[in-house]
Amino acid sequence: MSDLKPGASLAGTTAMVGVGHSDWIADYAAVRGGTKPHDSFGYAAIAFNRALADAGIDKSEINGLVSGPPTAHERMCEVLGIDPNWGTQADAMMGIQAAMMAIATGMCEVVALVYGNDQRSAAVNYGGSNAAGGNAFLSYIYHAPWGFTSQGALYAIMLRRFMHDTGFTERDLAEVAVAQRLHSSLNPHALMKKRVTVDDYMATHYVCEPLHLLDYCLINDGGVAFIMMSAERARRGKRKPAVIHGIGRHDLSREATSLEPRLTNFYRPAQKKVAEQAFNMAGAGPKDISCLQIYDSFSVHIPLALEGYGYCGYGEAAKFFRDTGISLARGLPVNTSGGHLSESYMQGWNHQVEAVRQIRGECGERQVKDCRFVHYSSDVAGKALSIIYGH
Amino acid sequence: MSERKYIEPQPSAETQPFWDGAKQGKLLVRSCRSCDKAHWYPRNHCPLCGSRDLEWIEASGKGEVYSYSYMRRADPPYVMAYVTLAEGPTMMTNLVECDADKIRIGDKVQVKFIETSGGVHLPMFTPQSAVP
Ligand SMILES: [Zn+2]
Repeated sequence: MSDLKPGASLAGTTAMVGVGHSDWIADYAAVRGGTKPHDSFGYAAIAFNRALADAGIDKSEINGLVSGPPTAHERMCEVLGIDPNWGTQADAMMGIQAAMMAIATGMCEVVALVYGNDQRSAAVNYGGSNAAGGNAFLSYIYHAPWGFTSQGALYAIMLRRFMHDTGFTERDLAEVAVAQRLHSSLNPHALMKKRVTVDDYMATHYVCEPLHLLDYCLINDGGVAFIMMSAERARRGKRKPAVIHGIGRHDLSREATSLEPRLTNFYRPAQKKVAEQAFNMAGAGPKDISCLQIYDSFSVHIPLALEGYGYCGYGEAAKFFRDTGISLARGLPVNTSGGHLSESYMQGWNHQVEAVRQIRGECGERQVKDCRFVHYSSDVAGKALSIIYGH
Repeated sequence: MSERKYIEPQPSAETQPFWDGAKQGKLLVRSCRSCDKAHWYPRNHCPLCGSRDLEWIEASGKGEVYSYSYMRRADPPYVMAYVTLAEGPTMMTNLVECDADKIRIGDKVQVKFIETSGGVHLPMFTPQSAVP
C-alpha cells in the first residue's frame, strides 16, 4: 500500500467544460409563495440544458450520465431523452471521480452529471423523528430515542468539543457566516445577499447550542449539471475548460453509526490522507490554492477543513481567520459564491459550478484574481473527498 | 413547557438483550472474549477483531462527558451528550437532572434509566455529584 498513489494516473486527464443550474432565486420565491415550479427531474433537466449550452455541445454527444441521489437513474435518462453507454447514481464528488475513471478507461467520452432536488417544496425532512428510519435503534446518524434527530445535533456536539480542545469561540465561528455573506452579496445567483457582522451573527438565536441560526445551510429547490470530457478533447472545444488535476478520497466508516470519526477526531485522519493524495497528484500544495470551496451544510466544516487539509495547524483555525482571513476582502477566500449557507443548498453540486467559473474567470465582482487552482473539499457521512481544479 | 415525548426505540435481535437489561436497571455493553475489548453499539460480530465470541457485561454506569449540546429550542429543552463509559466505548445519550448551563466537558456522570410512555427504559446520565 505504501507505494500506491491512488488516482495518480488520472491527474490532468479530465475537464469540466460546461456548468448550468436552475433559477434558485425565482424558484425559492415561488415555493415560499406556495407554488411548485418543478419536481426534482424538472430542475435537473433545466440545469442539463444550460450546461450543454454552456459547453457549446449538442445532446447527441453525451454518452455517459451520472444522476444525483434524489432522482432515479433510468427515469433521469428518460426525462433528458438520452441512451448513454455508461452511467451511475452518485453524489457530486463520487460522481465526478467515477466519471473521470469512466472517461479514462474509454467506457464513454462525454459525461453529463445532473442533480435535481425539490427538497423545499416537497418538505423533505433531514431532521425530525422520522428522518432516515429515525426510531430504528441506532440507525445511521440518527439516535432518535435520545432526541438526536438532526444533523445540527451532530455538528453542535462536534463544535462544542472542538471549542473545548482548541479554544475556538462562537465569535470565531461567526467569521464564516460573515465572509460567506460578503461573497453572496456579490453573487447574482445567491439566495441570501444581506451582509452580516459578527454582532449580527451573535444576535441570532441558537438552534442546537452552540450553533446559531446563521451556521445552518439553506433548504431550497433546484438543479445543477456539469459536462465532463477528456482534457485533450476539452482543449479543442469552444469553451475554456477547468481541468481536474487532483482528487482524493478516504472513508472513516468503521464507527460510522457511533459517529466516532467525526466526534472524536473531526475527520483529521481521513483529511490528512486525502490532502496527500490530492495535492501530490496536482503537484500543488495549500500555498498554491487561489480559493477554497468547502461543503458547508454547517459553518463548522470550514475551520475543520482548513486544519484537516493543512492550511493551518491543528487548533489554529481561529488564528488563521485573524492573521490570514477567509474572505474576498482578505486572505484565502473560502466559498466565494456564498456556499450552502448563503448561495444555494445543492449538496456540493453548486460548489463545482463556482470552482469552474472561478477557473474560467467568469465571476465578476467576486472573481479571485489570477485564479490558478481551486480546491473543493467535502467531509460528510464518514467520507472525506477532495478535488483540485486548474487550467 | 410540554412533557418530553421520546421516540420509541425498535429493538432488533442484536439489541433486545440490551433493552431487557435496561428494564432491570442494568447498562449492558457488548464485549469480545477474543480481543477483550468492549464496543458500542451492541453487535453480534466484533467490529474490532471479527470474532463472534461475544458476551454481555454489565457496565459500571460511570462515565465522563465527552461533549454535549443544549437543545434549547426543543419543547421541553434537553441536553444531548456523548458520554465515554468507564469500560471504553462512547455513546450518544442525554444528560438529565442537571443544570444545563453548568455542564462541562469532562464532568463525571452516572447512568440513570428513564422510562418512556411505551415502557422502554432509556439510559441517560446525570452528574455524579447530583446522585444521592
Ligand atoms: Zn474482538
